Amino acid sequence: MAFFRSLQNSAFTEWLLGSDSIWTYPTVLTLHTVGMAILVGASFVIHLRVLQVARAIPLRRLLPLYRFIWIGFAISLLSGLILFVTQAADRIVDPVFYVKMASIAAALCLGMMVKRRAIVRPGAPEVTTGVSRSMAAASLALWTIAIVAGRLMAYLKSTV
Amino acid sequence: MLEFAAWVESTPISKALFGMSWLWPVCESLHFIGLCMLIGGAGLLDLRLMGMFRGLPIRHIRTMMPWAIGGFLINAATGALFLIMQPHLYLGSAVWWSKVAFIVVAAANALFFETRLALPALSMEPDADTPPAMKVVGACSLFSWFAVLYCGRMLPYLGTGN
Repeated sequence: MAFFRSLQNSAFTEWLLGSDSIWTYPTVLTLHTVGMAILVGASFVIHLRVLQVARAIPLRRLLPLYRFIWIGFAISLLSGLILFVTQAADRIVDPVFYVKMASIAAALCLGMMVKRRAIVRPGAPEVTTGVSRSMAAASLALWTIAIVAGRLMAYLKSTV
Repeated sequence: MLEFAAWVESTPISKALFGMSWLWPVCESLHFIGLCMLIGGAGLLDLRLMGMFRGLPIRHIRTMMPWAIGGFLINAATGALFLIMQPHLYLGSAVWWSKVAFIVVAAANALFFETRLALPALSMEPDADTPPAMKVVGACSLFSWFAVLYCGRMLPYLGTGN
């Protein structure tokens, strides 16, 4: 706890939050949103197809979209780490933060399982199985929870 | 403009909506979800128009567009609620007007695609490269939507004079 307190009260936090420049905190926040748009946007498209929307699209042709998932994830993770440092002591005791992290982990795991089962597996049917569809729907639901939790955290901020 | 904002805020509907303390965060969450739907769906079409994702026929990607448009409508509706609840945050902000301008650019660009380029695009071979006009339209769309996102997210910080 002392460690997280020291992160939150560090000179770095003071500089990032205290700076008048738009290139500090606002830019990190915007990058976090850009990362989300790429990551969740690409997941949304893939899982819609698995749920049989735009079913004429050959599933394997969606493979390049996974690159965007990882790029979006990397942007979100790095900007998220910086945002975490500035509120470390508050977040480490915030249940909503854990809901967000668990949802993201579960959404990514399910997404990877969908990729293996329905997209890269040789002979995977173009009409996806019920299991794949359930996983795709669950993954999208978890992304929704992660987004809502992330939004709510802004309202549960204690004053630094 | 700020007089108009003050008038809107004095109306019972604005007061009633803003009085529901849960409505603002709910709209914000929906605004983020709509944004992912829009950027995901439109972004894939834009990238294909730019020549990526060869092998994906444009006419098949286009069948996903109702979901992207759905995302846009969610954001238009929640955005309208923000505007009714707290118009002074937006109507006097050059950043917000820039956001509106980028939405107009993106919409005009999409209209241009639908009226001038959609027919040849839909009949293209799955593996075919796209002509320069489609590449420009795809890049314009992608840039505009990210500019909309940027203006929206930076709205509380840009041009506040501090």
